[in-house]
Amino acid sequence: MRSIDFHAHLTPQCFWRATENGGDWHGIRREQDARGRQIVVSGTSRGQLPPKASWTPEQRLADMESLGVDIHVVSPFSGFYNYELDAGLAMASSRETNDEISQMMMSWPDRFHGLATLPMQDVPAAVQELERVMVELEFKGAVIDDKVNGKLLDDPEFMPFWKAAEQLGAVILFHQGGETIVDRRIKRYHLPNSVGNLADRTLTFASLVMGGVMDACPDLRICLSHGGGYACYGAGRMDRGWDRIPQADRLAAHPPSQYLNRFYYDCIVYTEQALRFLIDSVGIERVVFGTDWPYDMAQDWPVSWILSLDSITQEEKDAILWKNLENLLGV
Amino acid sequence: MRVIDVHAHLAPQVLWSAFEQGHSWHGMTHETRGDQEFIVGHGKRILINSPKIRYTPEQRLADMDAEGTDMQVVSIHTPLFPYHWETGEAIEASKEVNDEIAGMTKRWPDRFVGLATLPLQDVDAAIDELERAVKTLGLKGAELDMVVNGLNWDEPRFLPLFKAAESLGALLFFHPQPQDNIVAVERTLRYGLPNSVGVVMEDALVVATLICSGVLDECPNLKVCIAHGGGGACFAMGRLDHGWQVRSEARVNILKPPSAYQNQIYYDFLTSSEAGLRFLIDSVGADRVVIGSDWPFVGWDPSPSGWLDGLQSLSAEEKEKIAWKNLEALLGI
Repeated sequence: MRSIDFHAHLTPQCFWRATENGGDWHGIRREQDARGRQIVVSGTSRGQLPPKASWTPEQRLADMESLGVDIHVVSPFSGFYNYELDAGLAMASSRETNDEISQMMMSWPDRFHGLATLPMQDVPAAVQELERVMVELEFKGAVIDDKVNGKLLDDPEFMPFWKAAEQLGAVILFHQGGETIVDRRIKRYHLPNSVGNLADRTLTFASLVMGGVMDACPDLRICLSHGGGYACYGAGRMDRGWDRIPQADRLAAHPPSQYLNRFYYDCIVYTEQALRFLIDSVGIERVVFGTDWPYDMAQDWPVSWILSLDSITQEEKDAILWKNLENLLGV
Repeated sequence: MRVIDVHAHLAPQVLWSAFEQGHSWHGMTHETRGDQEFIVGHGKRILINSPKIRYTPEQRLADMDAEGTDMQVVSIHTPLFPYHWETGEAIEASKEVNDEIAGMTKRWPDRFVGLATLPLQDVDAAIDELERAVKTLGLKGAELDMVVNGLNWDEPRFLPLFKAAESLGALLFFHPQPQDNIVAVERTLRYGLPNSVGVVMEDALVVATLICSGVLDECPNLKVCIAHGGGGACFAMGRLDHGWQVRSEARVNILKPPSAYQNQIYYDFLTSSEAGLRFLIDSVGADRVVIGSDWPFVGWDPSPSGWLDGLQSLSAEEKEKIAWKNLEALLGI
């Protein structure tokens, strides 16, 4: 048995080094709060980093050993998407981060694979960097936000990106960065994360499907983190919404629920009942292992959680923990 | 099998009568554009997307007979909520709507019970109207939006309303805006996503807010029902629980994990799939799920109770509870 983690973040060492003595990394600074916690300061936004975020690849590998995780498909910290910054600056920070992941892959080819971060505010530049990492650096794809400066990813502006991702065989992982859809409504009780992440992922599923992106790109490979949010649970209502659109105006050929098995989903749903529902809704071949390393919303022992579930067969556990990702990524 | 429907909308006859006479109703007017009709006013343009929303009580009863619904718990079509109107106008309009619903329940006491509309921009006035609606008019509670002019329900100003509802034994039925909701405000209007996706987010968010705010501890006997099966709330309760474990801000008001509160709430059965409904029942218990058809906006095949009756994964006992027993007990009817 193996385990391959498709949802494992990296706050690059180049950021930690550049900000070591009060310096900045592409304009991003770092502060320590009164309790000694590391705070990223980018423009007007401030985000807290967990202690493990500064860990070197060697420390990460030791933690993976302890968790029983064989491979991290490393994706850059979503706080550094930098979509709101100057595109040239975002390109520079993306390239530097992606190059660091490439170094990790070269040093530990059996342990690390890579997902790139891309300057999505400049679609031609994003396509260019995606081509570079896929062709030259042998990445598996990229991680992007559910929205780019207020636009959802079904916006026609992004069609060249989707075509390129499809043609390159890149897997695109969706993961929120910055504020979620809930932030301006309510910031209390951790709801921007615990409800907002799921809401944004649901909207990504619905907009890509209803906007016709999945029809236009039949071989596109997309993974929705956090189990795709409410997508599988809410697909029945989306079908009714699709039904109401006059046939001539429909951009999706089929009702949304029929696209559930076109996406991949990580298994971060926390309860056995929800994981069972996800599998039964989207198909076992579409659910992949992910942990959200190294954040507090990760489960403490994610591999043994999967292994402990009574309603999931051993065959299904193998599919989630490694077989599906082996097939998807060719690793 | 008796059938009671908690989720049945009304656009009041007082509004249509005013339109027929060429008048406006509290600032709302009727507008026709091509083959579409709208109710327009107070910054809103409400599409009339079902001809049945104009029905008289008699026509409504005929429709209920046709679909085998014995009783509707009638509440206003939520775009007509007057929270953002001038306060005096909102109080007046609420009274007119509540009087009309009370008239229906008095004339057809076996067929209709009602939920009030409240002028929530003035919490004292809203409490007064809730008391009048329950004590004088005999309504069973009130229908509430997910947010009041940008304020969430955990704001301390709303606690007296919850206390009043608890002591009156009033049911609070939460229902979002079908169009002007979080998806429309924050993201997109395309493909009808505010309705098809925004609604389930709003439902999930209000469940999370009510639970995490501690209102259910403050008011342990408060009767709350959430439309559309609570949206994604119960499916994603595990993430709320994990957030409660690892984040102090999620624990500020509650001593138990969020999932421990989910069966203090009622949910209508409008999950749009049998698997979704089964999941909901397994999460909160068959005692907490009730028929809610979203009349007249959802076309049921063959009918709300017919759909329920045909489900293979529910026991006969569960169906009886959902169809009428739970609401009979909850509303004392």
